[in-house]
Amino acid sequence: MPKPEPKLITFEIDGREVQAPEGQMLVDAAKMGDVEIPYFCYEAKLGQPVGACRMCLVEVEGIPKLQTSCSTPVKDGMVVNTKSDRVKQAQNAIVEFLLVNHPLDCPVCDKGGECPLQDISYGWGPGRSRFIEPKRHFEKPVALSPLVAIDRERCILCYRCVRFSQELSEDYQLVFLERADHTFVGTHDGHPYVAPFSGNIIELCPVGALTSQAYRFRARPWDIEDAGSICTLCPSQCNVKYTTRDDNKVVRVLARDNEDVDDGWLCDKGRFGYQAIHVPERVTRPMVRDGGELRPVSWERALSEAAGALARAGDRTAALVGGEATNEDGFLTQHLLRGVLDSPHVDSRTSGVLDPQQQAVLAQPDLTAKVSDIEWAGTVLVLDTELVDESPILDLRVRKGVRRNGLNVIVATSRPSTLDTNARALLRFAPGAGEALLAALAAAVSGQGDLEDLSGRAGTSAEILRGAAELLQEPGPVVVLWGERLSQGERGRQAVARLIDLARQLNLSGTEGAGLLEVPRGTNARGLREVGCVPALGPGLDTATRAGKSAGEIAASVPGEVSALLLVGADPLTTHPDRGMWERALDRATSVIAFADFVTEGLDEHADVVFPAESEAEKDGTMTHPDGRIQRVRQAIARPGEVRPQWSVLAELCERLGNPTGLLSGAMVSERVFESVPFYEGITLAEIGGKGVRWQERDGAARLPRVELPVGELEIPPRATAEGLRLGTGPSIWSNRVVEHSPLLRFLLPEQVVELSPEDGERLGLRTGDQVSVSVDGTSVSGRAFLRSDMPPGNVFLIEGTRTDNATALLNGKPRSIELLRAEETSPA
Amino acid sequence: MAVQEVRVLLDNIDEPGLNHIDTYERLGGYQAMRKALTEMEPDEVLAALENSGLRGRGGAGFSMGKKASFLPKGSMDKYLCCNADESEPGTFKDRLLMQKNPHRLIEGIIIAAIAAGANKAFIYIRGEYVLQADVLDAAVREAYDKGYLGQNILGSRNDVDLVVHRGAGAYICGEETALLDSLEGKRGNPRLKPPFPANQGLYNGPTLINNVETLNNVPLVIAKGVDWFKQFGTEQSTGTKVVSVSGNVQRPGNYEIALGIPARDLVYGLAGGPPPGRKIKCWFPGGSSAPVLLEEDLDRPYSFEAMAEAGSMLGSGAIIVVDDSVPIVSVALRLAQFYRHESCGKCVPCREGTNWTVKMLERIDTGDATPMDLEIMAQVQTNIIGNCLCVLGDSMAMPIGSMIEKFRDEFVEHIERAREAKDRLSVELGTYAEPADAVA
Amino acid sequence: MTDSPRGNGRSLRESDPLLADRIVGTPEQQAAARPAVAAGWDEPADIEKAPATIPDLSEVEVPPALKAEIEAHMAKYPNVRSAALPSLEAAQRVHGWCSPEALRQVAAVMRVTPAYLSMLATFYDMLNTEPVGRHYVYVCTSVSCHLRNAQALAEAMKAAKQEGDDVNVREFECLGACDMAPMANVDGRFIGPIDPSEAPEVLAALREGRTPLPGRGLGDEGFRLPWEGES
Repeated sequence: MPKPEPKLITFEIDGREVQAPEGQMLVDAAKMGDVEIPYFCYEAKLGQPVGACRMCLVEVEGIPKLQTSCSTPVKDGMVVNTKSDRVKQAQNAIVEFLLVNHPLDCPVCDKGGECPLQDISYGWGPGRSRFIEPKRHFEKPVALSPLVAIDRERCILCYRCVRFSQELSEDYQLVFLERADHTFVGTHDGHPYVAPFSGNIIELCPVGALTSQAYRFRARPWDIEDAGSICTLCPSQCNVKYTTRDDNKVVRVLARDNEDVDDGWLCDKGRFGYQAIHVPERVTRPMVRDGGELRPVSWERALSEAAGALARAGDRTAALVGGEATNEDGFLTQHLLRGVLDSPHVDSRTSGVLDPQQQAVLAQPDLTAKVSDIEWAGTVLVLDTELVDESPILDLRVRKGVRRNGLNVIVATSRPSTLDTNARALLRFAPGAGEALLAALAAAVSGQGDLEDLSGRAGTSAEILRGAAELLQEPGPVVVLWGERLSQGERGRQAVARLIDLARQLNLSGTEGAGLLEVPRGTNARGLREVGCVPALGPGLDTATRAGKSAGEIAASVPGEVSALLLVGADPLTTHPDRGMWERALDRATSVIAFADFVTEGLDEHADVVFPAESEAEKDGTMTHPDGRIQRVRQAIARPGEVRPQWSVLAELCERLGNPTGLLSGAMVSERVFESVPFYEGITLAEIGGKGVRWQERDGAARLPRVELPVGELEIPPRATAEGLRLGTGPSIWSNRVVEHSPLLRFLLPEQVVELSPEDGERLGLRTGDQVSVSVDGTSVSGRAFLRSDMPPGNVFLIEGTRTDNATALLNGKPRSIELLRAEETSPA
Repeated sequence: MAVQEVRVLLDNIDEPGLNHIDTYERLGGYQAMRKALTEMEPDEVLAALENSGLRGRGGAGFSMGKKASFLPKGSMDKYLCCNADESEPGTFKDRLLMQKNPHRLIEGIIIAAIAAGANKAFIYIRGEYVLQADVLDAAVREAYDKGYLGQNILGSRNDVDLVVHRGAGAYICGEETALLDSLEGKRGNPRLKPPFPANQGLYNGPTLINNVETLNNVPLVIAKGVDWFKQFGTEQSTGTKVVSVSGNVQRPGNYEIALGIPARDLVYGLAGGPPPGRKIKCWFPGGSSAPVLLEEDLDRPYSFEAMAEAGSMLGSGAIIVVDDSVPIVSVALRLAQFYRHESCGKCVPCREGTNWTVKMLERIDTGDATPMDLEIMAQVQTNIIGNCLCVLGDSMAMPIGSMIEKFRDEFVEHIERAREAKDRLSVELGTYAEPADAVA
Repeated sequence: MTDSPRGNGRSLRESDPLLADRIVGTPEQQAAARPAVAAGWDEPADIEKAPATIPDLSEVEVPPALKAEIEAHMAKYPNVRSAALPSLEAAQRVHGWCSPEALRQVAAVMRVTPAYLSMLATFYDMLNTEPVGRHYVYVCTSVSCHLRNAQALAEAMKAAKQEGDDVNVREFECLGACDMAPMANVDGRFIGPIDPSEAPEVLAALREGRTPLPGRGLGDEGFRLPWEGES
């Protein structure tokens, strides 16, 4: 559905002439004339108004009854009165009714001081109640989940939280139970409300009924300050506000509505992960391996050991940049490697090799879709990514498009997706067969090529592909949300070629609102590539003078090729495929130097120098959203202990290695980045501001050379193996170190689950809950079996990034067939 | 008194086997459907319904033909819902019509659906009506077997599918938008209007919603013509009406009359009036949601317009008679309890207002209220009226308000008597405290 | 004058007689008068439990007949959620009530969350989320029946229920049978008018598997109200 262009109309409110977009709800339009209408249940983000609270009643000339302004669209010439006696009487009545069962325990209420009910009672209420019956009293608060407490006395049943659960996140766990004045908010049979986005209900609650278990009683509104930044925990890069206390503690994270990024929602990882900032196990002092163990040392000693090690390794140094590094950190790291140590080996990807030509094509401004294109597209193809795990906020955006604008969704994933129920077409292909799937899809779209053969190679059926192809050709722009996974395998280059070919066939670059949007592995994956943290590309996607090794090649290098490893927020044992190979690589390296906020297993065993890393709330810098929006990461609190800005440590290392950078502040580093990436040229921190700026929409974008989409023969994709069980893996939203270290989130830390079809389960004599072992070539991990009816037979799925039994141990960048056994059969208990 | 019923809807109602299609057809059934399908265009059917002046029999009394004509033309999915969630206290006419003569309802649905361009129809019947739902299910099967439902009815290009959907116990589902929500598998919560169901109703498609009795009239209008139909009733209330009379009368039951006869004829002539020796204290002319009227109002004509003029409404056409043996407070309390229980809980004034009203009425009975509470109670009713999402809140506030207004003295007396009784009791129990009034 | 608990030597009644009179009851009385709280208001979620997401059919055993009935309902509607009420009714017939397990079974077949079904089951009066009995006796006590002695019938029915009776006896709002008042809906069969003295017979019949008060039910052969036919 195309985005409507609203036209301005003029209406009268309380005697003032006001202009507002036609069709806007009166309650919002009134604000254009500085008229405030009180309301509780209305929330534009939640979609259609429900009209339940009746607080926003106003008089509209020509309509005999009072109207709810939340559900009355403004029309030209409308005359509205919000201050008449009739309206006042209704407002007084509603407040009195609302307070009939509200305990008025404001002095002990966490919401006090920032409570809409409090404000509206003062502003629009009668000031007294005639209700003298006993109020109802209950145990309070009670747990709704480990993260959210509920106080049912205070609840005014405004519907916001249950609508969120049912109509926004669509997890449908939080509901109204019972009826009439017995109605209350609850879950099924006392189960907790645990879902990826559950924390949003706290922010939505207009009274003190839903409170954060983590924030309860930590502060009063006059104790706190808000600091705007972005969440750095996944590529969604949601805009957040850190609620800080005493300039040194983050006590809460709230959404900072940016409809071009997050629509005002946060996932629970982003909302509650801040707790990991303030845990004792965090690294806040530099450490050096001494006597076989990491010990805290002075900065001087750590810096000199690191500089010494790097000087010794010289061009045999390699760097892995973690996805959460800022553009500034990434830029300085590649500068340290390329410019100072003369080593080309720097990579920010976990697997696969990027082709420079393809990268230039993918960066073309007109080929990139932006986040808001999703909801106005005709069809969205979700390709080889599970959004809720890999970029959660986009999952909500797709659902919004379906719900509000009738968006067609095609889910093309190997593993059943939470978006399946919203999809018009499901393309279940064999894990790792994305290339074949794209080839088949392109054949179905163009009518050329052997569709039967190609769909067989992808492990799917031609008929379903034809249906999907029809959807792709329906009117309306097509947005392809593609997972980086597609490009990471052994045939990643061929898969990306197929993706570009499909984009060409669908004319995505020539269609307004259409395009590709990558769902990368790392938060700042796009920015890191654009500042030069990939082996083949320097800053600005310029082909590097000397191509270096990719992450996988670094791990596989022969002894002596790479002797020092610099890990900038990277943890290859958790995130990179082939864990065994990485263990050997870390073992082999003469020195391992890391920036880290926690000592992981890998660092504990292998690191020689550990620099304390800033947390997301202590950092200054920029990141680039997958859609090209450059956003600021801003420091909200003081750095604890001896933590120093990462850029300054990198600059110091450059200087100690005889190559001073001349950089004196974070802002200078940002400036240097903007100067070094041609298409970022001219950007300033001020211009980025609070909402970010897409470089594609600036004049500087012209400095990226235009590349036409390639045309030509493509390789025939290999056939997905039909033998044995095919292994697929993917991260969980909760497989993240902040989840591990946040006291209240820790319960969500995933244990390994082995998902398989009931058919395979029956064949192997397995039931849900059985402990099973999954092995490839002698390497095995174990986990709990989960038979899911929607899993295609022949496929088995595991989680990447679990603390133990990490599925990355089984990966090597190629499609893998696995053996599956009940655990006790393998281990003599 | 020799008052005669006018049996049009209830003709043949006691014919054995009328619930079977053979009997129904033997008595002329499904001829209207044939006529509508073979001799008339949909627009002609709609025009006939509109010209007949047939008003909705569910409560609101809106022109049925007009309502049907509001549905947009076009090829989108459109729906017809028959509202058979008869739950308004005092009303039991649809129960009789469905149980005894299910095929006339089905015939009416087929005609109305085709005229409105709907090809999927539902009968939302309250879950408590098990017998009637079973009868309808059987009748729908018979109609499918005959080819009157399903694809290409009577060889035409018209398709109508009909599903009997059973509710599960909620008065509010009789409100048309709550009915749609319930039919969609949600809690029966009324929706905001607009959008009106005619534009965006069931599954967001244009939807025509009609009451059972209304749809029962459709085959009659089509078969016998507009003029025939308009000979019954008044200018603004055409046709006959099945009136449910209950409460303190000697012969409760359903009586079919031409609209506009004096209410007294119904209550006394047909239903036998109150028990011997009793006088009528008040009566509800249109189900329990209608403001009460007094004895003298019985001489008004029983029609939509006359009841509105008297400050009440004809509503679902159900008369509840209260005689002088019943304390008005007990009627008010019973009524308020009903609406409190049946409020869906969605909007604030209804949910909290019904709850508060019950608590105040309970206090009157226990001797814990003062006449001051009567004022508050009256104001609470005023605060409910017009401020709710749907009419349920008003449905309590209007009759309760009318009772306070018309029986204020009785309320005050009741309050005082209950207080005295409580004081006497507390003296006996030794818990007596000096009354506050002594200070004033 | 008894000692005031408020500390300033004066009782509330002394300091503000009007206010004192407006406060209903002592704390004890207040506690007794406290509105009946719907089950669940006080209950915290059990944070040890896993969240109630859509159960997978491979984990839930559903009686085949129930599964078939639910699937038949699902096929009747353009949107499967419309099948929820009929499916819950079917599950209640099988399980006796809408138990958590019953809801899980419906949820697994319909591919919806159990919470969605809980939300419905607690809204509608005929669905029971407590094991209140396989049979039901709904005594209508709405206004029309109230005017005809329904309260006495309701009390009599409750009194006639014996320990071990698998019957849910409850007052019910208007059943649409005011002509039969006072009446009861017994397992879907409307019986009336019933004299309170007949209540034990109704319960006994249910206990013994007989039809209660034959001939007196709406739809029974030859059923008519006592005053019908006279004129």
